[in-house]
Amino acid sequence: MIRRLFALALVIFAPAFGAHADEPLSDSAILGAPPGFTIESLRLRFTHYDQEGRGYQSQADRPQVSQPGSEAVTVEQPQLEVVANQGKFTHRLWVPVDIVTAASPDALDAISSASRTNEAASLDLTSTYHLSHESDLFLRGGFHLEEPFRSWNLGVGGSRSFADDNTVISASLNQVFDWLDRFNIFGTRLGRDYRSSTNANLGVTQLLSPTTVAHLEYGVTVQLGQLSNTWNAVPLATGNLAEERLPSLRHRHAFVGRLAQALPWHGAIHGFYRFYVDNWGILAHSFEVALYQRFSSFGYVRLNYRVHHQTAPYFWTPSAAANAQYRSADSDLADFTAQTLGALVAVDLRFVRRVQSMHLDFGYERYFRTNDLRVNIYTCALGFVF
Amino acid sequence: MKRLLVVIFLVASGCAIVPQNRRGQLADPIMSLEQDSLEAHKRAKFYSTREGAAGGDGEPAGGGCGCQ
Repeated sequence: MIRRLFALALVIFAPAFGAHADEPLSDSAILGAPPGFTIESLRLRFTHYDQEGRGYQSQADRPQVSQPGSEAVTVEQPQLEVVANQGKFTHRLWVPVDIVTAASPDALDAISSASRTNEAASLDLTSTYHLSHESDLFLRGGFHLEEPFRSWNLGVGGSRSFADDNTVISASLNQVFDWLDRFNIFGTRLGRDYRSSTNANLGVTQLLSPTTVAHLEYGVTVQLGQLSNTWNAVPLATGNLAEERLPSLRHRHAFVGRLAQALPWHGAIHGFYRFYVDNWGILAHSFEVALYQRFSSFGYVRLNYRVHHQTAPYFWTPSAAANAQYRSADSDLADFTAQTLGALVAVDLRFVRRVQSMHLDFGYERYFRTNDLRVNIYTCALGFVF
Repeated sequence: MKRLLVVIFLVASGCAIVPQNRRGQLADPIMSLEQDSLEAHKRAKFYSTREGAAGGDGEPAGGGCGCQ
């Protein structure tokens, strides 16, 4: 009896099952429904800067008008980054914070020590849409908040790969609008001012061999508005201090080349060169080399060295004329050579429960330059890939 | 400009297609030309606030001297 009922059921429902089986299976039928929103990674980095030196723009601890002031500063810089996937989108939320303790970067501290701490924070969100395996488009927006300063930025860009990912071409366009308080060198607030920066970049990355990859990039930035730290001081030939005066237009061009070469002993060497020129008369060359060496499958050591030389703009002087149209004594704009030496140890642990890998690194860098500035940089990072 | 074209030509002429199954060494993170994004920001911020010639590529520069 049971066998007859089972045979009857087969006759009735078999066509339905058969029709269903003929339909092609979708991805979701095989893999299950795609997750709506997943956290891909979470990273934290903390950096401490300890700077000493002297610059003509600073009024802190200045023995005489004709002599430079202190540029001593300490900076604590925590950063947080969260990357999440949502279907064809990847979102990156990034929150960097700067806590600056010094006399020179704050307008009030130009004449007193009333406020020796300056905090700055940003919020930046980048959403990338994966059009196809070859093409990505991204949109980014951000906001920066600082004591005498507000800034908004917006960017758009994309990349496309060719020849089975051997060549990747990328382009981006960014716009930044800064709104800042204007102070004179005595710390008096004179009102509001603005600055606009428009930036465009074009880059190409090329695999040259199974062990070599290269990247070339050109970037141009056009800046308009108040381009000075308005409380920067300039010594005059008359023996007084006066405010800095910078042109309100600046065109900046940068050409960058990078190369990475794998080494046969589980290492790699990276080379970097950058050429910079602008319409203020600054011309600069930067070279950097970094040597990576793996000490195991999960860890490596990096040693890096950088040298940078720049010329000063045509209006830079430590003793300006009182009627000069443009003048600056900012040590960051001077003619100098800077060097950076650094080392970093990193490990990627893959046996941590509930995460694909956990990243840890510790690094130290020493920056020093020919016009009296020295910085010790300590950094560490903790990251999780889920 | 001519020098730039020569460099691009030399790089392009040296390009041979590297098949996917020969990219094992290129996949190692130590071969990545892009730094960890937080470290890249650390470096960009550091140099753009101390070198008037920083900025102009990748990220828009900050202040006039890059001091903001």
